[in-house]
Amino acid sequence: MIRSLLPSFITRHVLFALIIGGLGGMGFILFLMEFDHFTSTEAFCTSCHSMEIVAEPYRASAHYLPDSGVRADCGDCHVSEGIFAATWDHILGTKDLLAQIFGPDYDDPVINALHLPEAAFAARDWFRKTDSATCRRCHLQESIIGTRPDTRQIHLEDAKGKTCIQCHYNLVHRKVPDEKTFKREKWNRMIEQEFDLEPGTAARLLEQ
Amino acid sequence: MNYWNRQTRILGRVYLSALLLIGVASPAAADKVTLDPGSWGKEEGKACIDCHRKSSAGLVTQWEQSAHATAKVNCFDCHQADPADDDAIEHEGSVIATIVSPKDCGRCHDTEFRQNEGSVHAASLSHIAQQMPVLGENLGGSAAIATGCAGCHGSRVEVRGDGTLSPDSWPNTGIGRINPDGSKGSCSACHGRHGFSKAQAREPSACTRCHSGPDSPDRAIYAASKHGMMFEAYRDQMNMEADQWVAGKDYSAAPTCVTCHMGAVPGLKSTHDVGLRNAWNLNTPVSEKQYLIIFEDGDKRDLPESQPLPKRGSELEKSDGSMGKVKTVVSPKRRRQVMNKVCLECHGKGFANSFLGRFDSLVKLYNLKFGEPASAIMQALYEKKILTPAPFDEPIEFTYRELWHDAGTRARHGAAMASPNDTSWEGMNRVGQIFYSRFLPQVREVAGAAEAKALIEQHVTSQEAHGWLIQPERAEPVPDHGMEKSDHD
Repeated sequence: MIRSLLPSFITRHVLFALIIGGLGGMGFILFLMEFDHFTSTEAFCTSCHSMEIVAEPYRASAHYLPDSGVRADCGDCHVSEGIFAATWDHILGTKDLLAQIFGPDYDDPVINALHLPEAAFAARDWFRKTDSATCRRCHLQESIIGTRPDTRQIHLEDAKGKTCIQCHYNLVHRKVPDEKTFKREKWNRMIEQEFDLEPGTAARLLEQ
Repeated sequence: MNYWNRQTRILGRVYLSALLLIGVASPAAADKVTLDPGSWGKEEGKACIDCHRKSSAGLVTQWEQSAHATAKVNCFDCHQADPADDDAIEHEGSVIATIVSPKDCGRCHDTEFRQNEGSVHAASLSHIAQQMPVLGENLGGSAAIATGCAGCHGSRVEVRGDGTLSPDSWPNTGIGRINPDGSKGSCSACHGRHGFSKAQAREPSACTRCHSGPDSPDRAIYAASKHGMMFEAYRDQMNMEADQWVAGKDYSAAPTCVTCHMGAVPGLKSTHDVGLRNAWNLNTPVSEKQYLIIFEDGDKRDLPESQPLPKRGSELEKSDGSMGKVKTVVSPKRRRQVMNKVCLECHGKGFANSFLGRFDSLVKLYNLKFGEPASAIMQALYEKKILTPAPFDEPIEFTYRELWHDAGTRARHGAAMASPNDTSWEGMNRVGQIFYSRFLPQVREVAGAAEAKALIEQHVTSQEAHGWLIQPERAEPVPDHGMEKSDHD
């Protein structure tokens, strides 16, 4: 009876294949959703020690402990919204994973700090290119009231046409100057002093 | 007749050369900015106002009421920076620096910048560099240095690797601040930002914010002087807002600190080198008259009279320890003549000379009777290893400092600026009290009777002025003190 309702090219095998394929596809999408969700968590990100170093200042920031209790997880800021965009971001993110495995020893706090500025510049670039889309998940420019009297006015008038990251950087992670004014030599000196290293060590480590 | 003519000629020459030298060293302050107005009013600066009018309205209002705003000098004109500058930061798309250094101000106010750059004000951090480890660190600590010493003397501003200014060194408007661009000083030490008002900087309060307390007790001294008295009474006649402010011409009610130390009088230009007219150093254990050395590069330093006088073109150590080539030497006498010229705008020659002569006598009295003996005894105690080389680990070291620094400085400044109370009760009287009642007994305590006797005989009682000390029978009792009873008993 059913058979007679379906076109003739849908054989029993095709039907099974469609059902299995459909279920498989749904399963894959569900898997991606779960995967993206899981790989966006602080717990996953900090399973690499290098990310633990990066997360330390984050845990002292207003994005981790806001008065409201609304915590922004790593992925909330660094992974785009939407299953395809999120998956794409994670695919791009594998290059960081490869760098973690085959690149410099980012788990070493000194190496980590020395490479941090370039990572910050890349992240800021990404925010600029996406028009700070992940910020806008929670923060609506037209709804920002702030605690100072003119914050709202500034966001409606002066910040019009600007993207969040243009003004708001160095909020969460360790402070890094803007690329335009960044001075590698000074950064290296600071890290050397911080870790009690001989002058010149930073440059040598970066060359390796 | 010939003799007098010759004297007059010589005096005239000295006087003229003094004026000439001072003129060369310090062209007129408050010079009109001669740059093309196209050099400021940058387009990039206009956007700053929109936002800052909302986010920091007070600051913008101050600027709006300033001469800068009238001349259309905007935020970016002063705060612009080159990305390569040590303290350059990115801010809302522009590269700027938080600190506007004297060098930045000097882009337009070149004369003032150059005058101040070589002054004792600009060198006030390097001047205390040697005292910092002891007075700052040992007796205080780094937090006390940042909030205390550096507040007036200035900090060495440190830009950290992450582009931020170290909180130990910034904010700071100390007048000897060493800026990230290497320039020395802070214009906003006196010219409060963001109004940079001339009138405000002419107020004594612009100076006495730092020139108060034992190190430089000039707030109290000026307030208790005739000059301060007249200023308080007639401040509405001071014409403080005037563009040109020449004493005797634009105002005559009273002199402020600026009038005598920096101000213009007819025939004498104003200067941003505040120490230029000081013939004496009044802040040392023993005062000395001082030469002003002007180096080839415009830097300056004071040189005590007892030091060998350098020749033109010779090398001499600068106040920051580096070497410089001597261009001009100005004698203390010439410096005094310049100061005297200010006095003469309101006082007669005889009046001014007698006043300044009495000031000199007080300084010499302090030196001879207390400063030199105390200093020589301390020197001997160190040489004989009776005291450890570490300063301030023995009570007598505090007593000695209180003697010359706290009370001695007040007495000498009091005499310089005509405060009888500060010269006497707060000054010489305390010097005497400290010397006789604490310093000498402590010398006996640390050195032992025999050693102390020898030292005191050599440096103190051998002087006639101290003779009364060893002749108690010659005492002239004071009512209510000692033997003599007051009448009403």
